[in-house]
Amino acid sequence: MLRSDQILATVEMIQKENLDVRTVTMGINLLDCREKSVAATCRHIEDRISEKAGNFVETCHFVSRKLGIPVVNKRISITPIAFVGAGFNQDGFVELARALDRAAANVGVDILGGFSAQVEKGMTETDRQYIRSLPTALSVTDKICASINVGSSQKGINMDALTMLGQSVKDIAEATREQNGFGAAKFVVFCNQPGDNPFMAGAIHGVEEADTVLNVGVSGPGVIARSLERLISSRNDRLRLDEIAEEIKQTTFRVTRCGELVGRQVSEILGVDFGVVDLSLAPTPTIGDSVGEILHILGVDAIGAPGSTAILAMLNDAVKKGGIFASKTVGGLSGAFIPVMEDALLAEAVGSGALCLEKLEAMTCVCSVGLDMIPIPGSVDADTISAIIADEMALGMVNNKTTAARIIPVPGKDVGDKVSFGGLFGASPIMEIRNVGKSKRFIGWGGRMPAPIHSFKN
Amino acid sequence: MQKQIIISVMSQDRPGIIADITGAIYELNGDLADLNQSVLFGYLTMILIATFDAHITSEDILARIARIQSPTKLDVIVKEMDTPLDTRHSGLPEKTYIVTAQGENKSGLVHGISSFCYHHDINILDLATTRTDNRYTMILQLDLSRVNSIIEVRKKLQEYGKQSGLHVVMQHHQLFKVTNEINF
Repeated sequence: MLRSDQILATVEMIQKENLDVRTVTMGINLLDCREKSVAATCRHIEDRISEKAGNFVETCHFVSRKLGIPVVNKRISITPIAFVGAGFNQDGFVELARALDRAAANVGVDILGGFSAQVEKGMTETDRQYIRSLPTALSVTDKICASINVGSSQKGINMDALTMLGQSVKDIAEATREQNGFGAAKFVVFCNQPGDNPFMAGAIHGVEEADTVLNVGVSGPGVIARSLERLISSRNDRLRLDEIAEEIKQTTFRVTRCGELVGRQVSEILGVDFGVVDLSLAPTPTIGDSVGEILHILGVDAIGAPGSTAILAMLNDAVKKGGIFASKTVGGLSGAFIPVMEDALLAEAVGSGALCLEKLEAMTCVCSVGLDMIPIPGSVDADTISAIIADEMALGMVNNKTTAARIIPVPGKDVGDKVSFGGLFGASPIMEIRNVGKSKRFIGWGGRMPAPIHSFKN
Repeated sequence: MQKQIIISVMSQDRPGIIADITGAIYELNGDLADLNQSVLFGYLTMILIATFDAHITSEDILARIARIQSPTKLDVIVKEMDTPLDTRHSGLPEKTYIVTAQGENKSGLVHGISSFCYHHDINILDLATTRTDNRYTMILQLDLSRVNSIIEVRKKLQEYGKQSGLHVVMQHHQLFKVTNEINF
């Protein structure tokens, strides 16, 4: 039998520290669901999803009950829809979105991701039609998440696409005006988008993947925060940063193991390949489940104060080191998330003025996934939004990492107002954007930003 | 022809008890299959299973152990098994759960939770308790193989915890294994 202290430590982790498996995401290949007409393709897609994921939610419940660990979200990711809908027009893509929404509701999953396209080098006419469909597709559906990859370290950044997307983000927000622009919270722009990420809004089932695969996202900011508090209060002598990093590593190991256990059992029952565990620290708006809180515990009195980036770099690295050994295969995004609206302490720091866009941008250089869930004034122009996204994409391209932008221009709201989407999407004061309207000439160029040179990395 | 014999020993703890007892078994040409020992507040108890040649009797073993020059008194029970026990290592049952119960110390806590297990056809595989200040902690390793609905037991266990003033948590044993051991 295990030692009593080990058992009690594990019980503590599950019961008091918000340990859960944040998501089990089933990736489903839809490439062969393509038929001649939109209607027939929709039917084929719905059949495929109910065939593959019919028992998915129930199986997650079963394993969750058996092990006594909550599985918060059951999700599906699909082949980027622009591949499946090649040649369809804007209306066709809206129909595909509706079909996916019905399929997701039918099998009982929380969200379906992969209403996506990959345009990092060039756009086809299909891709343009897909982009035009986004405002309607995201406003007439409940469970659909969209993402688009506009850049990569190999191919550079597609600035023509980026130019369109600033306006798309505004249009999506406008189409969901009565929900404060909530549609924009379901759309994310990527550089170096991974094909096996289980987290939303950016989950896709990459074209390099097998027919069906399960990916797991663990959580754990709360668990790490509590373990650090215990460590700090238990020590009378001086605690050093390397000891703190070690504690984060060991805690992450345990958290990841729980995700690995759930993933393996669900995949075994369903007879589906187990893909990866994504090690990302994903906060929720729940008090005590915040990445911001960890920064605070580790020594900055205001989130965004000098030192925040350094702490985040250490946290992100320690999480990876602990998690990689705990899982057979690690993938997806695997880093700390700093989604403003989904993290109560980050949102508070935006409200107090401690955390500004530029500091957030700096922080995204050392963690995943980017400028995430940031509500901005609805009046900010499309070119400025494109330019904010371009900066974030450039960070990912040059640093060979995934970066993303999920900016929400909230219609009719301005700095000083607050917006709330409820549930896991959270709430935040509107963030101030400085230098609005000063990037028009840059965005006006269009074309492509060439891929960076891969040697002389200094 | 061989036979299985179970030997149980209690004694004030001291170095050398296991060496003494297994020495006696060795001299009688016995083969030790498995041994378990535990020490509680300086008092030792051990149980072991060994196989002997057919002509060795319980009396022979008791007589040999009696010759040990032990500074502590050894209370020994020897029992010949009529039907052989399966000594191949079988591991834990699939439905092995760990229950922790913590609360203010009062009499009857272990009796209460063990009766709960008995009433629900749950076998206790292992049980450890600790007391710090006035807080009592019980950790039970349970076999729920004969239980149909884990959810039902979990619910009943929560109700029991409420009635008896205990914070009770039940988790599958694999969870403790994977979070504390390297192997998976």
